[in-house]
Amino acid sequence: MLKATIDAEIFREAIDAISALVPECRLHTTDSGFSTRAVDTANVAMVSLELKKEAFESYKATKSQLGIDISKMKNIFNMAGKGDLISLELGDNAQKMQVSVHGYHYSITLLDTNTIRKDPNPPTINLPGKLTIAGEDLNNAIKAAAVISDKIAMGINAKDQTFFMIAEGDTDNIRREFSKDELKSLSANEARSLFSLDYLKDMGKVMSRAQEVEVFLGMDHPVRFSFDIANGNGHVEYLLAPRIEAD
Amino acid sequence: MRCAECKGKGMCGLSRCPIMSRFHARLDLKPASSYSGSAPSLFIGSHGYPQVRGGPLMINDSDNPPQWLAEGRTIDDIVGIRARTIRGTSGIGRYTDNMQEIAISDRPVGVEVAFERPVTFDLTFDGTVAPVGMSGAMKRLEVTGNAHVHRMVDRVTSDTDMSATEACAALAASDIDVYRITQIFSAGLLGRRRTFVPTRWAITAVDDTVSTRLKKEIARNPPIEEIRLFSGEIFGNRIVCILVPGDWKYEMIEIWGRHTLWGGDQDVIVQDREGIVKHGYSPISGAYYSARLAVCEYLHSLRRCARVILIRSVSNEYWAPLGTWVVREAVRLAMANPAKVCPSLDTAVDEASALLGFDHWMPHSSLIPEMRSQKTLAHF
Repeated sequence: MLKATIDAEIFREAIDAISALVPECRLHTTDSGFSTRAVDTANVAMVSLELKKEAFESYKATKSQLGIDISKMKNIFNMAGKGDLISLELGDNAQKMQVSVHGYHYSITLLDTNTIRKDPNPPTINLPGKLTIAGEDLNNAIKAAAVISDKIAMGINAKDQTFFMIAEGDTDNIRREFSKDELKSLSANEARSLFSLDYLKDMGKVMSRAQEVEVFLGMDHPVRFSFDIANGNGHVEYLLAPRIEAD
Repeated sequence: MRCAECKGKGMCGLSRCPIMSRFHARLDLKPASSYSGSAPSLFIGSHGYPQVRGGPLMINDSDNPPQWLAEGRTIDDIVGIRARTIRGTSGIGRYTDNMQEIAISDRPVGVEVAFERPVTFDLTFDGTVAPVGMSGAMKRLEVTGNAHVHRMVDRVTSDTDMSATEACAALAASDIDVYRITQIFSAGLLGRRRTFVPTRWAITAVDDTVSTRLKKEIARNPPIEEIRLFSGEIFGNRIVCILVPGDWKYEMIEIWGRHTLWGGDQDVIVQDREGIVKHGYSPISGAYYSARLAVCEYLHSLRRCARVILIRSVSNEYWAPLGTWVVREAVRLAMANPAKVCPSLDTAVDEASALLGFDHWMPHSSLIPEMRSQKTLAHF
């Protein structure tokens, strides 16, 4: 059972965070909120999202799983105006969710949760480098790099106390260094890994809205981005596997 | 813009493509002022769009590329058939009903045509559509006999609320081949706002629409189990295709060897790739979409997903551009040949180079280095 209303902008933010990686997801509802965890088809990137009860205007739910088609949900947002509320309603064992927004009443067929990939287990990894940066700065650096190359190196220079991003194309390269003053925090442990910009571009768009993004880095290890959504009542974590160039 | 990317569209600004004009041969034929016989298909030109001209293709022979191949015809035979084909032209408003009847029928209908002037020989080639020999403006066009229409075609063409995309999908799903769909599409019989579509655009539009739908279904399927290598060749178009387990990704590399049709003094290599969404028009042009269709058909029949690296290498045996159907059929042929299972990506790449006879296509691939270097989360 689910009966909830939420600000359309907040719900859109949450759905956008998931849609950066996957076209469909298994949404867990409990009496304390929504959560989901999914990996993309290539098993390269993972998203974990949590949306607390407090993010909703009203919220009542029992423990269950919903198969959500993300593109269908995005279509619904097109009908929502600023400040509109979205109401979600689902009966026990029902296959259709009632979604109402701006006077429109949708009846959305849910996906069979058996057809969605099982919830992935997050790998246990130790990422020593840690920093906090404004989401917009991070996204801008990613956008600038995407013009030059399809991959980007991110790392921490322990000696200079900087966070750096370097993209090398066939003929050109670009480098952006963030000194300690430009960052909100930096624990300078030497780190450097190479990542595919294909994934980062989509994640960057979502992260650009966050005031603060925590970035965890290691040596040829995945990167973890961690940030709040829904005015602090929701939380997103991205994990992205690196590219390792063998010579 | 290189010749291999333009393929005679006239992007260089010259009034006549210098490569194409090599084929303006003369053929001794008695000028005919009328034609009576079968008209297997419809041709709409793209010049001056939207004020295009078009009309039936008239020949008492097969007009269907798969049938040409099944009959074992050579490239010379096909150019011969097309040289004898007459393309009737008129403004498209004039004989709309007749033209649509010709396009909609699965069997060639008979026509009687009177030309304004005796038809002249003017063999034109084009990278996308099959060449046509003669053309003449029509004074009169009459269809004799009745069109034979497939039930699904009838249903889809009568439905004016169905979008052209849905219509293409519905036709492809009921096993109507893309050659027929292209005909119906170009005759302006699909969609909500109907209009004649130039044949060369219709071919790529149908290839793209049908394979985009297949691609979306494929992306939901589980990956294939092992790395498979396919190859096949038609008229000097060698196709080598590597399928790697994983999510849908497609990369095509087209190589025009030295002194081939669109090649110059050295090899010309064009590369393009895509994931789930494709942005913009491919620099490989129509061939990219035709090849993608054939690969999608294969994966769809297996109900599996894969990353695809497709290489088309053209030798100078391919002396006349016959149209993108050559690529479509060459890839279909390759996928129908037994696959070779490779233990690793490196062996598959080596095998592919051995089949092609060279390995300088490799640096142009961006998917192969990506697959080699990208780790998955399972790795940690």
